[in-house]
Amino acid sequence: MPVVRGVERCLAGIRTHNGFLNAFTNLRPAETLLKEAAEANQRILSNQPLSRIDGKIIAVKDNICTDDVPTTCASEFLREYRSPFQATAVTRLNTSGAIVVGKTNMDEFGMGSHSIYSTFGMVKRPPPAGQEDAPFRSAGGSSGGSAAAVAAELCDGALGTDTGGSVRLPAAYCGIYGLKPSYGMVSRWGVIAYSNSLDTVGVLARDRKGVEDIFNAISGYDAMDPTSLSDTTRDRIKEAIARRRGQNKSPLRIGIPLEYNLAELTSPILATWKHTLTQLSRLGHPIVPISLPMTKHALSTYYILAASEASSNLSKFDGLRFGTRSPLDWDPETQTLFAPTRKSYFGDEVRRRILLGTYSLSAEAMGNYFVKAQRVRRVIRGEFDAVFGLQNMLYNKAAEEAEDAEEEQEAAGKVDVLITPTSLSMSPRLKDVLAQRSPLDSYVNDVLTVPASLAGIPAMSVPVGVGEKVGMQLLAQFGDEEALFEIAKALEGL
Amino acid sequence: MPRPLPRLRHVLALPIPNLQRTQFPRLRPAPFSQRFATTTNTTTTTASPAASSFLPATPDNSFQKTAKAQRKARKDAHEEKDQGKSGGDGVLWNGISGHAGRWEVVCGLEIHAQLNTGRKLFSDAKTSLNETPNSHVGLFDAALPGSQPIFQPQTLLPALRAAIALNCEIMPESRFDRKHYFYWDQPGGYQITQFYHPLAKDGYIKLFPTDGIELGEGVEEMVVGIKQVQMEQDTAKTITTPSLDPMTTPSTHLIDLNRVSHPLIEVITTPCLPSSTHASLALRKLQSLLRASNAAIVGMEWGGLRCDVNVSVRPRGSTTLGQRCEIKNLFSIKVVEEAVEAEARRQVSVLENGGVVVGETRGWDGELGKTFRLRGKEGEVDYRYMPEPDVPPVRVGRGVVEWLRREMPELPDDMLGRLAREVKAGGKYGLTLKDANTLMAWDGGARVGYFEEVVAKVRRHLEVAGEEEEVIKDAGRVVGNWVIHELPANLTSANLTWTQNPVTTTHLADIISHLLLGKISGRTSKSLLPYIITTSVSSSSSQSTIDIPTYITENSLLLLPLSSSDLINLIKKVINEFGDMYTQYRSKKLGGLRNWFVGKVVREGEGRVDARRVERVVGGVLDGEGKAE
Repeated sequence: MPVVRGVERCLAGIRTHNGFLNAFTNLRPAETLLKEAAEANQRILSNQPLSRIDGKIIAVKDNICTDDVPTTCASEFLREYRSPFQATAVTRLNTSGAIVVGKTNMDEFGMGSHSIYSTFGMVKRPPPAGQEDAPFRSAGGSSGGSAAAVAAELCDGALGTDTGGSVRLPAAYCGIYGLKPSYGMVSRWGVIAYSNSLDTVGVLARDRKGVEDIFNAISGYDAMDPTSLSDTTRDRIKEAIARRRGQNKSPLRIGIPLEYNLAELTSPILATWKHTLTQLSRLGHPIVPISLPMTKHALSTYYILAASEASSNLSKFDGLRFGTRSPLDWDPETQTLFAPTRKSYFGDEVRRRILLGTYSLSAEAMGNYFVKAQRVRRVIRGEFDAVFGLQNMLYNKAAEEAEDAEEEQEAAGKVDVLITPTSLSMSPRLKDVLAQRSPLDSYVNDVLTVPASLAGIPAMSVPVGVGEKVGMQLLAQFGDEEALFEIAKALEGL
Repeated sequence: MPRPLPRLRHVLALPIPNLQRTQFPRLRPAPFSQRFATTTNTTTTTASPAASSFLPATPDNSFQKTAKAQRKARKDAHEEKDQGKSGGDGVLWNGISGHAGRWEVVCGLEIHAQLNTGRKLFSDAKTSLNETPNSHVGLFDAALPGSQPIFQPQTLLPALRAAIALNCEIMPESRFDRKHYFYWDQPGGYQITQFYHPLAKDGYIKLFPTDGIELGEGVEEMVVGIKQVQMEQDTAKTITTPSLDPMTTPSTHLIDLNRVSHPLIEVITTPCLPSSTHASLALRKLQSLLRASNAAIVGMEWGGLRCDVNVSVRPRGSTTLGQRCEIKNLFSIKVVEEAVEAEARRQVSVLENGGVVVGETRGWDGELGKTFRLRGKEGEVDYRYMPEPDVPPVRVGRGVVEWLRREMPELPDDMLGRLAREVKAGGKYGLTLKDANTLMAWDGGARVGYFEEVVAKVRRHLEVAGEEEEVIKDAGRVVGNWVIHELPANLTSANLTWTQNPVTTTHLADIISHLLLGKISGRTSKSLLPYIITTSVSSSSSQSTIDIPTYITENSLLLLPLSSSDLINLIKKVINEFGDMYTQYRSKKLGGLRNWFVGKVVREGEGRVDARRVERVVGGVLDGEGKAE
C-alpha cells in the first residue's frame, strides 16, 4: 500500500516537524486521509489512476476554500471560518485523485513576503541537513507554509497563491520549484481575493515534473470564474506556440533583462545567475541581452494596484455575515459600527495595505496613484510583449494571421524565455526580518517578481546550484508555461 | 554584466502609512443620533424582530427612509461641472410660488428603478418581491469570501429597453465599477455600478400638454435631457426595531438579502426642470416610460422606484446655476413635488436674508413638510470608485439593439397618438384626449387592448353590412363611450372589478354593431349589459354560452323597420302635433326647422327608422307632396 504508507509518513513528519515549522494551520482528519489513500492505492494497483497525480499528497494554502476544514487566510478574522463551498482548484485536485492533506500557513490574506504576519505564528524555513542549529530563516511569503511543507517533505506538492511573487519567493527561499501560471489559467473561484487582477493559484513541488503534473490537473476553463481563460483562447495560444516552435527549430532563445541586474543582488545570487546562463548557452540556447526600461516602476505600481484592490476586497470583512465579530462591534462611545471589529481582527500589515489602498483610491490621490499605476501596468505588459517572439494572444487577436515575412524575421530574433534571479538574496534570518524598521524593507523583496504579475505572464522559480539552491526565475509569454517547463527541464541537475 | 545599476531606494515612491501616526478611519454609516433625526414622533413598531422580518419594508417606515438617506451619496464632482455647463439653455416657466418675480428654481432627477428580470445582476439567484427573507441569496450576493460575480446577460434586456424608451445612445461597450461605502445592507462593502462607462448616454424624454404640462404660446413640447442610464446592484432590505434609548442600546436591524443585487437602473436627468410641477411631471413620465417599455414593473409605492432630486435657485434671468442641494430618497411623486417646493423656499429665504446656500445632502421630513440637513461637504463620502476587476466589459451588439427596438412595446406617447384625435390628426380611433388618457390610465393600460379588439370587431360587422365609410370610422368614438362609461358603470353597480368583467369583446361588439346598424334601439342596447353581467354572475356559466344575436332574436328585441306608409303617417302625426312649428316652416322654409322635424320623427320612431331615411322623405311631406320614398 505505497500511497497509504506515503500518507502515514507525511502525518508522522507533520507530527514531528510542524511544531517547529508551523507550516500547517489545519489538517484534514487522519482517517479521511487514510481512507482516500487506500482508494487511490486501489486505483493505481488496478492500473486505473485518475491522473498523473492520483494518490499524491497535496497541501493547500489557507486562502483557498475547502468545505470540510476551516479557511482562515491566517487571519484572526476568519480563524473559525468554514466555507460552504470549495474552490475549483481543490475540486480539480479531488477529481484527479490527489489527497488534500490540510491547509498551510501564510501571511494574513497573502500580504507579506516572509510568512510572519499570521495569527498562527510565523513560518520557519526547514533547515537544510546539517544546519539544524543555525538561526531560523525566512520561508518566504506569502505562501511560506506551502513552501516549507513541500521542502520538509511533509507532502508531495502544494497549492499557493501568487499575487506579486507569493509562490516564487518562498519557493526560492526554500529551495524548491514554484510556478505562477498565466493569469486566468487556473480558476480563482473559491480563492479569497487579495488583488483580483493579479491573483493566481500557483504550484509548489520538489521537482519540475511534480509542478507540471499538478498544474495540468488544476488548469482549465471554469465558468464560475469570470476571468478564467476560455477553451477557445487556450486553443489559440496552443496553435500560436506550435507555429512559433515550428518556425524556430533551434533551441529556445533566452533573454536577460538588464534592468534586473540590481546593485542589491547578493553575490551567491549573481554567481548562480551567471552560472545558469553559461550552462544554457553550452546547451545551445542563444542568450540575448534585452531591455525592459519600465521595470524600475513595477514595484511602486504593484503596491498601489494591489493595495487598492485589497482595500476594496477586504471591505466585506465586517463581522456581520461570517468571521469573527467584536463584542465592541457597536461602540456606544463613538456610535460607530464595524470599526471595532475591523480594528480588532486585522493584523498590522493588512491594515497598512488597506490604508495605502484607501488613500490611492481617494478622490484626492486617484489620479496621481491608481490611474497612473494602471497606465504603467499597460506599458510594462507592452514591454514584455515586445521582447517575446510569441505574440500575446490576449491582446493580438487580429494580428495573428497577418504575419508577413518581415515580421516573421523580426520575431525570430526575439526571445522565448527570460531568466532572472527570483530574489535579491538567499533566505534572510528571521531575526533580521523582524528587526526591519520600515515595511519598505520587506516590499523591496518583491522587486524581481512583481513585473510578471503585472503583465499576467507565467513565471517559475527553479532551484539551481550545488549545496544551497538559489532560485532562478523563468518568465515566458502569456500562456507559454510549456517554455518554462522546457527550460526548467534543461536546468535539472545543474 | 553591465553596470551602473539602478538603486532600489530611489525607485520606490509609495505613500506608506505609518500606523503609529495614522488614526484608523472611522468606518461607519452615520452617528445614530443623526440617523434617527426624524423619528422622534414616530411610534415604535410593536412587532417582534422575528415577526417583523417577514413584513415587507413599507415606504412610510421613516426609520428606514432616513437611514437610507444617510447612506446614499452626494452628487459627484464631475456632475457638478456638467450642471454648470448645461444650465444656460433651459427655458424656464414657473417660478417659485410667492417669489415668481425674482427667483427661479432648477431641478434634476436621479431615479433608481428595479429592472423587470428574473435573475440577480451577478448571481443566478432569482429576484423576488415578498419571499421568505434570505431565501434567494447567491454566494456572491452574501459576499462570501472566494465568491466571484458572474454577470447575468439577460438582465441587460430590460435595461436596454429602458435606454431605448429614453432615447439614449447605447454604448457599444460599458463597464462596471465599484462604489465603496460601509453599510449593513451592502454585504461587499461596495456597490457594483457603472460610473466611468455607463450603459447608455445622452437621451431625452418629451413632456407634452397631454402630460399635464403648461407650455408657452406656440411651444409644443418640453425636452428633458437624460444624462445617462446605468446598471447597478440593489442593496438589502432592512427591517428596524428602534432602540428605546439610542445612547445605551443599539436598535435591532434585521437584514433581508433577497433584494441584494436585484438589478437596478439609475437614470439621471440634466438639471433642466424649472419647478416642482415639472419635476413631478417628468418623474411621472419616466415612470410610465419605464413601465410601458417593460423595463421596470413596480411603481414607487412598492419601493421599486426611488428618487433623489437636485434643487438650486437663481435670480430670474441668470444663466448660471445656483448652488444645489440634493434631497435623498423621495418615495412618491407627491413627496417629490412637496420636497422641491419646500427646498426652493428654504434656499430663497436663505438668499433673501443675505445668506449663502451651502452644498449639502438633505432629507425630507414629511411631517414637518421641510427638508433637513443629512450631511454637508465635510461629511461627504469619498466613494473611491474603482474599475471592477472581475467583471468583463459588457459589449452590446448593434443587432441586439435593433431587435429590441423592433420588439419594443408601444410607448405611452405613441399610444395616445393612436387613440386620441387631438394628438395626431387622423388618429385611428378619434377619442377625446380625456377619454384616451382615462383608457390608458385604468388597470395599467389593460383596457386599451380590449377597446381596440371591440372596435375591430364592430368595424368588421359594419363592413359586412355595407355601412358607409363615415359610420365605420366613427365606430371608435362610439366604442370608446361604451368602454369608458357604459361598461364601467355597469361593472361598478354589480361590484365587479375589471379583471372580473364577464362581458367579452364579442358581446360588446355584437351589441354596438346591432345598435349602429339600427337593428336594436338604444334602450335595448343598454339593457343587454346588465343581462350579460347578471346571467354570468348568477349562473356562473361560462361567458361563451351567452350569444347576443340569438338572445336578441329569441326575445324579439329586433326593431322592425317602418313601412313607407307608416313612415309618412308618422311624419304626419308629428306635423299635427306641432302645428305651430309646421306653420312657421311653411312661411319661412328654414332648413333648421326641417332638421328639427327630422329629429322629432326619429325619436318618435323609437329607433325603427334612421335619420337618413327620414331626411329623404320629410321634405316631401312637409311641402305637401306627401310622396313616399
